[in-house]
Amino acid sequence: MDLRYSPEDLLFRDATRRWLEANVPAEEPSALEERRAWHRRLYEAGYVGMGWPVEYGGRGATPLQQAIAADEMARAGAPAPINPLGIAIVGPTIIVHGTDAQKARYLRKILTAEELWCQLYSEPNAGSDLASLRTRAEDRGDRFVVNGQKIWTSGGLIADWGLLLARTDTAVAKHKGVSCFLISMRQPGVEVRPLRQITGSAHFSEVFMSDACVEKADLVGRLGQGWEIAQTTLSYERGGSSLARVTRYAAAFHQLIRAVRTLRRGGRPLLEDPAVRAKLGRIYAELEVQRYAALRVLSALEKGESPGAAASITKLSYSEFEKRYHELVQEILGPWGQDMSEAASEVDTSSGEPGTWATAYLWSRAGTIYSGSSEIQKNIIGERVLGLPKEMRADRARA
Amino acid sequence: MDFALSLDQQLLRGAARAFLDEHVTPAVVRALWDDPRGERDDLWKDMARLGWLGLTLPEAHGGSALGMVETAVVLEEMGRVACSGPYLETIVLARALETAGTPAQKARWLPAIAGGAARATVAFLDGELDWRPEAVLTRAEPGSDGIRLTGVKQWVSWAHVADVLLVPAREPEGLSLFLIEAGAQGLDISPVPAMDPGMRWATVRLNGVRTSADGRVGAPGAAAALLEDLLRWGAVGATAGMLGAARRCLELSVEYAKVREQFGQPIGSFQAIRHRCAEMLLEVENAHSATYYAAWAQDADAEDRALAASVAKAYVSEAARKVCGDAIQVHGGIGFTWEYDLHLYFKRAKALETTWGDADHHRELIVRQVAG
Repeated sequence: MDLRYSPEDLLFRDATRRWLEANVPAEEPSALEERRAWHRRLYEAGYVGMGWPVEYGGRGATPLQQAIAADEMARAGAPAPINPLGIAIVGPTIIVHGTDAQKARYLRKILTAEELWCQLYSEPNAGSDLASLRTRAEDRGDRFVVNGQKIWTSGGLIADWGLLLARTDTAVAKHKGVSCFLISMRQPGVEVRPLRQITGSAHFSEVFMSDACVEKADLVGRLGQGWEIAQTTLSYERGGSSLARVTRYAAAFHQLIRAVRTLRRGGRPLLEDPAVRAKLGRIYAELEVQRYAALRVLSALEKGESPGAAASITKLSYSEFEKRYHELVQEILGPWGQDMSEAASEVDTSSGEPGTWATAYLWSRAGTIYSGSSEIQKNIIGERVLGLPKEMRADRARA
Repeated sequence: MDFALSLDQQLLRGAARAFLDEHVTPAVVRALWDDPRGERDDLWKDMARLGWLGLTLPEAHGGSALGMVETAVVLEEMGRVACSGPYLETIVLARALETAGTPAQKARWLPAIAGGAARATVAFLDGELDWRPEAVLTRAEPGSDGIRLTGVKQWVSWAHVADVLLVPAREPEGLSLFLIEAGAQGLDISPVPAMDPGMRWATVRLNGVRTSADGRVGAPGAAAALLEDLLRWGAVGATAGMLGAARRCLELSVEYAKVREQFGQPIGSFQAIRHRCAEMLLEVENAHSATYYAAWAQDADAEDRALAASVAKAYVSEAARKVCGDAIQVHGGIGFTWEYDLHLYFKRAKALETTWGDADHHRELIVRQVAG
């Protein structure tokens, strides 16, 4: 065991920190073109797609270096790159399963954010049971024609392209009739509507496809291979956000400490209230355990070990922690936890965007649902890590 | 950055598991419940022979100069079988002597400890169940014939088999640590029966007990920092024991859920059981990360070593209790029987939870460090 960073990693952290100090814009970029410009600077400095192989424009960085870069960005409060799904999911999918023509056509523009991507997976009736998706892609000889509806599409309103899962064969078992496509979002058959979530803003959208077209050359992998492609852990960025996440938790914690020094009850600051201190201690202990666990995962990734199904433990762990964290914050702050006035909006909410404690509390409900709910993660852990027997399922008989 | 145990540390774990699985079976543990000593001399000698008792001691004193990570490995394996005896207490007293002891104290005790000839314990907790060094009430007063200690120490583990006790007491110069040998005049050890029949507890009354001429460890009044260091070591050690108990309970639960059938299928196929097992694994893995990070931080003298020890003790105390309790729930009725072994680990985890500062105590230490 040796949990010190190597001299190379420390140098890399130092260089990243200095670059960010010199380059992070004073004002948070808001307009799309400003955000794209910031992304472009990150890309040119080598901080976008770091884990992609060098031949595809990445720098083949180690998982720890990716984590360090993301961590430093969180520490510096740097705006995030603009094309996260393209870089984390679409690009790696094309690198592993795509044709040479697809690689040549799409990869570089993903890295530069010249083209922005979204992921078209979930449907109103295909959430946890994603393989039951109903969006159809029909082979019309010269192209595929797509009809159906997708939901919970991050960044759908600004996306130029989407990574699409659609059914191409209804005669086979549901997992085997799904194919993976690259679809242009800029065509008459695709309509994107904002989907307002409980925080009041619209981070997601609904996507309606009516006779939308996909070029034959934009099928990824083989027909019917879509489910397998979606299941493969493809991300080159895995583990990459783990340290940054904890750094954001810690930044929020220190803001909480400032709040409990100021707020008073019973003639003293909340910080001196033993009940409040017990809750603060509970939050910080769990926050540190998240950090230790992140280091453990990164150390395994550095050795080329693949976490496989154990990645579900990480996801379950941090998303459930975020709920407990913000429940305790709300208990500590009492009525002030609801404050959504301008004065309260300086909090790093650990959702990745600044907001209020109230916004952070609302966002904390999302993590245990997206990317496979906690219940799905527990199924994966139970079956694939612990080796418990599979449950009887009505649809398995047909599978 | 390497979180994995080294090859040597893995070999140590393998050797410990092989020895304990063979010699500290549930039947052996149960047989000791009715034994007045509660532990066995031949097992203690075996542990010395295996090098566990001198693990952290310098080679000059018969040890192998290893650290907290190795100690945690052994303690996790001991927790896994609910092994009885004053192992952690002895290691902590040895650390006190190695850190601050006189050459004579070291020569007197360290080789004896490493060789399995001496057992030790620590008597830290005074009347008010407060683990902070400033809360020590026991007094040390100079008399014509040496220093005399007066006070009551509560929940002292394995005092009845210890050859020497490490006792903090307040003297005019401040807090000091003293060695009290078994059989000293005025030393009264009254057993306290408790929930875990594999543990032994006592109330230790110091009725003007005279320390020997060379009985103080370190300079007069200078023991607070050392006591805090020892509490950290003890806390990380206890954490490793709880981790071992929890992992054993998880393993037993998963094995059981695969074979126990109800409604015509293994209960592990039901999400109600499977999800509980997944939550148990999550807690065990987080407990592992917390335990070994904290152990490493002590060995590396890391800046956050005090924080890490408190984080580990606070987190794992609850995690292990939950996992061991959930194991009983997964098993159902059989898990509640005396005959089934789950309660060995359930009780051991609970017993360790209260030692070296409980979760509340450590959460307060955490807040003091990060918020003042």
